[in-house]
Amino acid sequence: MTARKSIGEIFGFFFFLGRRTGKTRVFALLGLFPVILAFVVRVVFHGRSGDMAAVFTEILMVFLLQFYIVILSLFYGTSVVAEEIEGRTLSYLITRPLPKPAIVLGKYAAYALLMFLMVAVSLSLSFFILNTGRLADPSLYLTFIGYLGVLGLGILAYTAFFTFLGAVLKRAILVGLVFGFGWENVIQYFPGSTQKFSIVHYLKSVLPYRPTGGGGGRLALLLFKLEPTAPAVAVLMLAVVAGALLALACWFFRMKEYLYEE
Amino acid sequence: MTAVIAATHLSKWYGNVLGLNDVSLEIEAGITGLLGPNGAGKSTFMKLITGQMKPNIGTVTVRGRKVWNNPAIFAGIGFCPEHDVFYEDVTGWEFVTGLLRFYGYSGSDIKQRAARALDIVELTKDKDRLIRGYSRGMRQRVKFAQAIAHDPEIIVLDEPLSGLDPLGKRKLIKLIKAFRDEGRTVLVSSHVLPEIEALTSRIVLVHQGKILAQGDIPYIRELIEAHPHMISVRSSDPRALAACFVGDRSIQKMSFAPDGRTFVVETHKRDDFFARLTGVVLEGGIEVEEISSPDDNLQAVFEYLVGK
Amino acid sequence: MATVREKGYSHWDGKLTERRFPWWPITRTGILLAFRKKRFKFVFAGSFVPAVVFLVGLYVSERLEDFKAFLQGSDRLLNINPNYFKTYFTNDSLLFLIVLVLGFAAAGLIADDLKHNSLQLYFSRPLRKKDYLLGKMSVIVFFVLILTAVPGLVLLIFKLIFAGSFKFFLDYPWLPLSILGYSALLTVFFSFYVLFLSSLSKNTRYVTILVFMIYIFSDILFGMLSGIFHEPAMALFSIKANLQQTGAFLFGQKLPFAVPAVWSFLILAGICVLSAAVLNRKIRSVEVIK
Repeated sequence: MTARKSIGEIFGFFFFLGRRTGKTRVFALLGLFPVILAFVVRVVFHGRSGDMAAVFTEILMVFLLQFYIVILSLFYGTSVVAEEIEGRTLSYLITRPLPKPAIVLGKYAAYALLMFLMVAVSLSLSFFILNTGRLADPSLYLTFIGYLGVLGLGILAYTAFFTFLGAVLKRAILVGLVFGFGWENVIQYFPGSTQKFSIVHYLKSVLPYRPTGGGGGRLALLLFKLEPTAPAVAVLMLAVVAGALLALACWFFRMKEYLYEE
Repeated sequence: MTAVIAATHLSKWYGNVLGLNDVSLEIEAGITGLLGPNGAGKSTFMKLITGQMKPNIGTVTVRGRKVWNNPAIFAGIGFCPEHDVFYEDVTGWEFVTGLLRFYGYSGSDIKQRAARALDIVELTKDKDRLIRGYSRGMRQRVKFAQAIAHDPEIIVLDEPLSGLDPLGKRKLIKLIKAFRDEGRTVLVSSHVLPEIEALTSRIVLVHQGKILAQGDIPYIRELIEAHPHMISVRSSDPRALAACFVGDRSIQKMSFAPDGRTFVVETHKRDDFFARLTGVVLEGGIEVEEISSPDDNLQAVFEYLVGK
Repeated sequence: MATVREKGYSHWDGKLTERRFPWWPITRTGILLAFRKKRFKFVFAGSFVPAVVFLVGLYVSERLEDFKAFLQGSDRLLNINPNYFKTYFTNDSLLFLIVLVLGFAAAGLIADDLKHNSLQLYFSRPLRKKDYLLGKMSVIVFFVLILTAVPGLVLLIFKLIFAGSFKFFLDYPWLPLSILGYSALLTVFFSFYVLFLSSLSKNTRYVTILVFMIYIFSDILFGMLSGIFHEPAMALFSIKANLQQTGAFLFGQKLPFAVPAVWSFLILAGICVLSAAVLNRKIRSVEVIK
């Protein structure tokens, strides 16, 4: 079987498995929270579209970008390798005619799509509930696609990082938590080029709404202390980082021996 | 016969603990039993030959091809792991068909193979039930099904009879023998001696990471020169019979069984003893009811070898 | 031809060959042996303190304006009174570190037992459900007290030593009780919180995520609702805010949020009661498979 077909089959199998687990249901439910909040806000701020738009950009988008995709990527990214070792099911995969990198890439793709669907549902519903006053405006849809793209890139980048951690470390989840909710939350506010050492910096640089002059207006919270990188460069960096981390994850998975804890 | 699986100077460490100690072994077609107590190195060896671990020193090949990071060879190998683990929330059918996808078969081929494998292990009726609702024996059988579904020529089974009831064990033993009759190579590991004896006479005894002995049971027995053979003779007048052998220097020990009809000797020269016994019986006219070798079994061989 | 080997001392039988870097195993073993010594780990970690201090200095140099404002208020900040102790106990970092330590050390307390079907082993001994839960809780109690009561009392003792008199204690004689009381509150709450989550899944990694996720999410929820509705009562949604409210109350300080402290106590108690009910249901010797 070719590597491409192997990746495809692994993708199909784990996308099927991932959809069914209770944990996916819990994370999907978590994604409904911004939708519920959007609905509540809609009722409370009926007619005040400016306020509703602000709620989306300053509150819900912060939740989605700095919490939801991070927690999803952390769980599913580390699961790519760690769940096979914890569950002792790795034997079933590596005694198949599957190149080891295909296992990593196939599972990564499956989980990334699963997460993207959860995030897309959450984003779509909450965005359009809060922007019903502007449905006739074509720029709204471009903005929506922009937000979806940012979250999608975030999923790809964070999941790649956590996949790499899961392939290399035994206690990946804790390092991941410190990174996702410690490093990422702190370093993005550091002055100068220090903030470029975070994934969220590049994601924020690509946000579709950016008032000229930086941090201010409706995106004040999201863009606080942001010294943005040019969007094209930011997307390239995210792609390079994700690609490099995935390549490293594949390499480690191929070379490393994984022993089950007795 | 050319070796199907060959290990050459294979050594494996877990930190400072030596798991496998300079093992060189060739496994040919047919059933080979890998026998040893827990912690002997059987699973380590199994993991090395199925590419789950990399040897620290030495090589292991399957049909002349290296195993580590060589996924292509697994098209012809089926592995049944020791641990009772499965993917969560899948039925037996989904489990077997899911893993069959990784061989590049078409959809209809996958269904056919899965149906056949589940039929062989008698799980057709329960194939749509979740595996976590299966009994221990059913779980063992579905594991076996995934190992054979793709029709491998080499099957590696790590403690396959563990958790099965006596009937289940019999069925599986019959199945494994059927695979052997089809010309496949089967490597089975167990720490339960009668199970291995029921499966095959070709065994490899492993202890503390080393191969203690390999070959047929009688052959191994013959090699244990340090330990005398036990021969039990039941007759109408055991003491009279025993008296004829008291002066024989090849007899190391003689004892009488509580039933009062059997005497047991230990001797280095078994053939000489039998020859003399024949003569004594004919000359003395003593009736002999039964002759047996209590230690001509795997248990005794193993106990001798590990010094218990 | 098969041979029979004598069982003997298990040394490696292979042939010794030369390695490419023959000195490397010696180096690696020496480093690993050093780290096996418990005290060495502390000393080694401590030896990075100067580097960290200088790193902080670099950061401060970039943010001098911010820090000038901080220094101007330092006489207020370094005024040692019960508020200082309250600030130690209720600061975001300490609470986060408690959650981090418990995520590391306690997430698998019940999850691992569920995974390995060990409950049957426990209850086949003369052990009651409450003994089992008490045993598990004691693990959490140990870690939380090490981070709360112990340093709290040590800080108080060192304050008295550095001051050279008991005046501080005489001014605030109830302070040790506040320290112990709040430590007990944190201990009890986190015991129920972590054990409850640990009983929900057989997967320790998932439980670790839940421990953090719920803690952080509750705070984010508070932030979001507060940002929308501008109501101080939204603080009741946050575990951290409730802990800070109860801490301020127990240290006799001004409450951080304009909500009666009794509500925070009730919410924390409610979480404990819910956890106890779920634990009672989940911990049983027989697993029911649906």
